[in-house]
Amino acid sequence: MRIAIPKGRLQEKALAVFANAGYDVPSEADLKTRKLVFERGGIEWIFVKDGDVPVYVEHGAADAGIAGLDQILEHECTAYQPVEFPFGHCRMMLIAAPGAPPLTKVATKYPRITRQFLDARGVHAEIVPLSGSVELAAVLNLTSHVVDLVETGETVRIHKLEMQEVVAEISPRLIVGKNFYRTEPKMVRELINRIEEKVLSS
Amino acid sequence: MATKSRYPTGVRPLLAEETARRRRMESRFVDAFTGAGFAEVVLPIIDYVEPYAALVEPATAKQSYRFVDREGDLIAIRSDFTPMLARALAPAITPEDLPMRLFYRGDVIRVEASRLGANRELFQIGAEIVGDDSIDADVAMLRLAADLVRAPGDEPTVVYNDVSIAAALIAQSAPVREALAAKRMTAGVPAALQTIVAKLISGDATLSDVAPFAPEAAARLSAIEEAVAGDSIFTLHLDDIEDSGYYTGLRFRVYAGGARTKVAQGGRYDNLYERFGQRAAAIGFTFTIDDLD
Repeated sequence: MRIAIPKGRLQEKALAVFANAGYDVPSEADLKTRKLVFERGGIEWIFVKDGDVPVYVEHGAADAGIAGLDQILEHECTAYQPVEFPFGHCRMMLIAAPGAPPLTKVATKYPRITRQFLDARGVHAEIVPLSGSVELAAVLNLTSHVVDLVETGETVRIHKLEMQEVVAEISPRLIVGKNFYRTEPKMVRELINRIEEKVLSS
Repeated sequence: MATKSRYPTGVRPLLAEETARRRRMESRFVDAFTGAGFAEVVLPIIDYVEPYAALVEPATAKQSYRFVDREGDLIAIRSDFTPMLARALAPAITPEDLPMRLFYRGDVIRVEASRLGANRELFQIGAEIVGDDSIDADVAMLRLAADLVRAPGDEPTVVYNDVSIAAALIAQSAPVREALAAKRMTAGVPAALQTIVAKLISGDATLSDVAPFAPEAAARLSAIEEAVAGDSIFTLHLDDIEDSGYYTGLRFRVYAGGARTKVAQGGRYDNLYERFGQRAAAIGFTFTIDDLD
């Protein structure tokens, strides 16, 4: 079994999930090397950019992984999401400077989710895809609005922006590839049961 | 000009060696179908969109290449053989002609934008039994599909289910769909269905658990299970609810040995022919040869 761990925001918690469920996960010393693939306890652990976890799992290059709903939706990932984790919850918000003009241009790391959000409201606006520091787009008037994840709201406050609307409630999930689920049901169910027992009950 | 050296995404030529391999595989399939009493039909590469509009879900319709022809009609390039065969066959047959065993082969073109790197031009070979709603036909098609990719030491996996089970539960309460699709219990599932949905999600559900909700499907699956018992490649997955589309009953997928690659899929669509003017039960499957290469 090959499991994809998201680097960055969720990495530590994702590893803790599997460690608490009794899996032998790569140690911190392991992670200081520049390797991206580790074999521990019969499982291959791969470390990929958080947004790439759904891509690896969708295409069967990894059997399971942990990914935020933001990345699952953005990649239209069809993998199963059998466990929703109690940590790392945040919101995807529509954000703008106070007194911003009506929404005509919006910057985001999530063009697909933003398109669906705008379509659902019948709003016609141009989407400017960016890959980071999205709030700056509103601060510097590149766009009137931005769509981004908000955890504590600190970034929004520092930049004197306002949260206007919730686009989606985001939580991390265990995702399991469909083909893996169908061909190795016993292995999948053991994985899910061990995680549910140890993680969700604690 | 940059386009001179490349092709549109998802298509490519097969040169001599690959073509020879493709044709060898193809003739193996054709021999097997012919040997099992299936006759070949040829279907057009393009057709009007309108006859299929009512039965194709918007998401599926978007997967086909469509254009306006010189008369101003909306045309689609073939993206699925099964509805085309139903439209071609329904007006041409009477109940006395049935059952019929038919097969077809050719390219389908699909726009699968979300599947990075997925081919858009796919070579498929499929077979159908039209006008036979028996469990024997179900078992025959399951076995035929498995035998096509069976090789000593390299056994395929055939996963099967009946889409009418999930359909019956979803008809009682729409939120069941989301719970079964994610494989996680959600708040919207009503109390009366929580036990069965939880069992389906955890994989503990048995045929007697689902029988009260979908008695006919449970009885058929039980008969199929008995018929294929002793052949370990067949696995019943009651929790599998994916993309029912025009399917009404048995639904199955074939995974080639070792690799977790889906090479074929199929099922029963007993209401499809009716939409084109002739009632006929039907069951079929399609192999995507590109996935076998």
